[in-house]
Amino acid sequence: MVSKRKKKYTSGEGAQYMTRKAALKKLQLSLNDFRKLCILKGIYPREPRNRKRAQKGKAGIRTMYQVKDIQFLLHEPIIWRLRDYKIFNKKVGRARAVKDFEKLNKYLNSHPTLKLDHIVKERYPTFIDALKDLDDCLTLCFLFSTFPSLAHVPRDQSALCRRLTLEFLHAVIEGGCLRKVFISIKGFYFQAEIKGQTVTWITPHHFSFTPHSKAEVDFKVMSTFVEFYTVMLGFVNFRLYHSLNLYYPPKFTALQQSGDEKSLVDEDIFVAERVAALNLPLSKTSNELVEEDFELDKFNADGSEANEERQEEIRKEMEKIKTLKNLFKGFKFYLNREVPREPLVFVIRCFGGEVSWDKTLFVGSTFDEDDESITHQIVDRPSMDKQFISRFYIQPQWVFDSVNARDLLPVQKYFMGEVLPPHLSPFIDEEKDQQYIPPEARALYNENELEEQHKNDENQDEEKDEESAEGAEDDDDEEDVEEKEDDEATASKKPKLSVSTGEVFKEVPWEKDRQERQEFRLREKMVKKKHRNLYKSMMDGKQKRAKEIWLLRKKRRLHDEKEKGDKKTIKKDKGKEGSKKKVKN
Amino acid sequence: MALLKKKKRVSKKLKSSWRKHTNITDVEDFLEEKRLEERIGPLSTISNEALFQVDSKPSEQILSSRRRRKAAAEKPLKCFSALQSYTNVPDPISKRNRVRTKEERMSKFVKEKQILNGGKITKGKESQNIDRKLKNFAKRGEFNANIWEDKDNLKNEEWVETNTTKHNLKGVGVQIKKHVKSIKTKLPAIELPHPGMSYNPSYVDHQDLLQEVAQKEKKLIKEEEHLNRVTRGMFSKVTAEKRDQNWLVDMAEGLPSKNNTKIEEEPNSDGEYKSVNPPVKNVKKTLQQKRKKKEHIKLEKAKSYLKMQKKKITDLHNLKKLVNQIETVDQKQVLIREIKKNNKDAKKDGTKVLSALKYEEPDLDFNLGREIAGNLKNLKTEGNLLEDRFKSMQKRNILAPTKRRTIKKVKVKKYTKPGHKDEDWKKTVARSYK
Repeated sequence: MVSKRKKKYTSGEGAQYMTRKAALKKLQLSLNDFRKLCILKGIYPREPRNRKRAQKGKAGIRTMYQVKDIQFLLHEPIIWRLRDYKIFNKKVGRARAVKDFEKLNKYLNSHPTLKLDHIVKERYPTFIDALKDLDDCLTLCFLFSTFPSLAHVPRDQSALCRRLTLEFLHAVIEGGCLRKVFISIKGFYFQAEIKGQTVTWITPHHFSFTPHSKAEVDFKVMSTFVEFYTVMLGFVNFRLYHSLNLYYPPKFTALQQSGDEKSLVDEDIFVAERVAALNLPLSKTSNELVEEDFELDKFNADGSEANEERQEEIRKEMEKIKTLKNLFKGFKFYLNREVPREPLVFVIRCFGGEVSWDKTLFVGSTFDEDDESITHQIVDRPSMDKQFISRFYIQPQWVFDSVNARDLLPVQKYFMGEVLPPHLSPFIDEEKDQQYIPPEARALYNENELEEQHKNDENQDEEKDEESAEGAEDDDDEEDVEEKEDDEATASKKPKLSVSTGEVFKEVPWEKDRQERQEFRLREKMVKKKHRNLYKSMMDGKQKRAKEIWLLRKKRRLHDEKEKGDKKTIKKDKGKEGSKKKVKN
Repeated sequence: MALLKKKKRVSKKLKSSWRKHTNITDVEDFLEEKRLEERIGPLSTISNEALFQVDSKPSEQILSSRRRRKAAAEKPLKCFSALQSYTNVPDPISKRNRVRTKEERMSKFVKEKQILNGGKITKGKESQNIDRKLKNFAKRGEFNANIWEDKDNLKNEEWVETNTTKHNLKGVGVQIKKHVKSIKTKLPAIELPHPGMSYNPSYVDHQDLLQEVAQKEKKLIKEEEHLNRVTRGMFSKVTAEKRDQNWLVDMAEGLPSKNNTKIEEEPNSDGEYKSVNPPVKNVKKTLQQKRKKKEHIKLEKAKSYLKMQKKKITDLHNLKKLVNQIETVDQKQVLIREIKKNNKDAKKDGTKVLSALKYEEPDLDFNLGREIAGNLKNLKTEGNLLEDRFKSMQKRNILAPTKRRTIKKVKVKKYTKPGHKDEDWKKTVARSYK
């Protein structure tokens, strides 16, 4: 007997992939439901290694899913809920058509809802996993919180986004996690460090809502993402609040609704408004400090100097962050009404400052404009009629630039009406030392260097100014210098007979260096063969870049010297002329 | 061999020898006892009941292996035993563990029901109704649990490797779910902005960004020009009239036309008949021809042999050249292999082909020099965050690039029923009554 012939595509890549259409058939779902399910469960289409085999010999490019993924979806209880939706829609449609309003009401009051808690837990097994994936979540939630009710974006979803994002901001404020801020034309970039994870998000600028064109973005898909992300953000908030010893949902202790207010607003809304103000500290469940600023242990694992350096670096970074957290401590800010309130309040409060604004602008202002203890008033207009002497009138960029510089910048350049210095991105790559930066550009990122540069420039200017004035005196000076040199020469001459003190044995200073270099070379030899080429190319590249930088620096130096020399010769010429004139006189 | 006798007297001159030969067991025993007392309290204060007990049950219960494993799994792992307290010396800080509040102590089921029922605890059918409501109504935006808190202490342990947990939970009845690993690209969710995108950029950064944008645009223009050249540019345009004329001329080729142009036919020279495939004649070579051919072949062979011999000698001289040739080919191959590998690696982390549509990079957002206001109030925003997210997801292989389908309106052919709205009714309707 001949064994049965094996059918094609029953094993290997052909059996591992299935088209979207096949997946729909297997799951018995409509395309929309399938899309929704995939987004909620985090299942994405895949690119097979060998497309032709995966598509079972069919030509063209189809959207392929892995069979394993689809089987995983098959066990999801949410599928039943999606089918319930279908039935629900049919029932409602029928009741509406028949005009059976009693039934219609009954159906609408008991509509099925998706519960996504277990999916959040499933997709992010640990809290850290959830934090790692927070970038998308936050950006989308911040964006949707600005949306009005649109097709596929129900009003309560945007409201929920708004609530959750505000709660998240409060958690960041309380934890002091914010690290970097950047104002771009797209929106505000924020970067925080939560439990050792860097979380970056973008919030849109606070301008009026501009409708999006439907052609570019699928609103239904994005709304599904947001539906999942709101649940995720909610649980993240819960966990964050509890780790910071805060009540969740947030509460305020020092807040009492007066009689008038009680009649005017509902209590929930009252609290929600205060939350939105971002200005009041939340009440804590216990007064125990959440100790995050711990002392770093001093221990050196392998005793090498590189490791020590690294540790020193880390320690310095930690100290910097410690000071950064209290950057605005003791300052009182007052925001003028033309300034974007939310991002500024958020940033200032993150670093320990106090903020307030006009009472009529938003609820939650804590002090008035005539408060004498205000240190900074943030203004975005060219001039003001009434000004207080006791405070600085500065533009909002000062706050952001100070945060990025991790130090309080001098206020002078940011005064009201001043042309602002450029707002630089804090997100520059750390490998800056691997490329040549002209000294002027480097100065932009470093305050000290900026001053030095300034001084140099000023000196040069002064020299220029003095050139004409000095002219005549120059040659006298030169003579003096020569005389001095003569004196020094005589002094330095040694007597022929002398008693020298015994020399103490000194360690040869470069011996240690040599030793280290040798050891380094030996270690280099130990690099595995597998990684040798990579290592070599890495080091070569490093050397090449270093050489380039060196070359450019040298060029610059020579250029500068040449310029200086030119100036001097001009000066000398002038001086000579002056002396000639003197003689003539 | 005589046994080594223990010395009666030993010199205790040195400190070390003193230590070695002094018997201090009694002191140590005493101290040990004292420590024990400190740990478990002085023996005199402990009651008899606490010290002794009457054995009524066997000390070791015989459990099934499954139960034993379960019990073992509930205990903390052996590797953590060092972390546990080993003494009975009381904690100097009393009340280290906070007492949970009444609300916290309440069962979560009771709590849920109470919330739904306005503080009352219900029984029977009522509670069933509430259950049903609970099932359907997961209220949006209510988060009151830490979902990352695991009840199984082993599963929750962050210091234990997954393999260890698996080992310890084997056969206990606790499920360890396999997490479907979502494919993640190394592309960041939020690309860090170009410094020139600042609302108030430095001149250099801004120029840098503009340069980048211009470069991209140039590339696009070049591509478009190429496509034009290769498609439309390849053909010359002809007017409709000219095209028809050309067509007519083409089709009329070879037909007798009005212009009296006659097509000349080749007249047969003679009246002779010529077949289409005349029969083949087997013409034999003459003897001379055969001989000449043989000679020629022989000569050729001799020539080629000579040539080969010559080549062998020259090849020996050319050995160096040959080796060089082989080396260059090898080097080239290595280079190509490397390039191919690099390309493959670059593709690995990048955007993948998920659907028939190609992913298109979104345009860079930028402000022109004159649009930069330099302050927040007059800032001109650029770019759409939603589109940015959408594109980013496509780039990270989360969404397959799609095109919005516009549903075309079906063209409905309209016609009136015969005789319905006919104006000339006398012709159609009245006629039938004749």
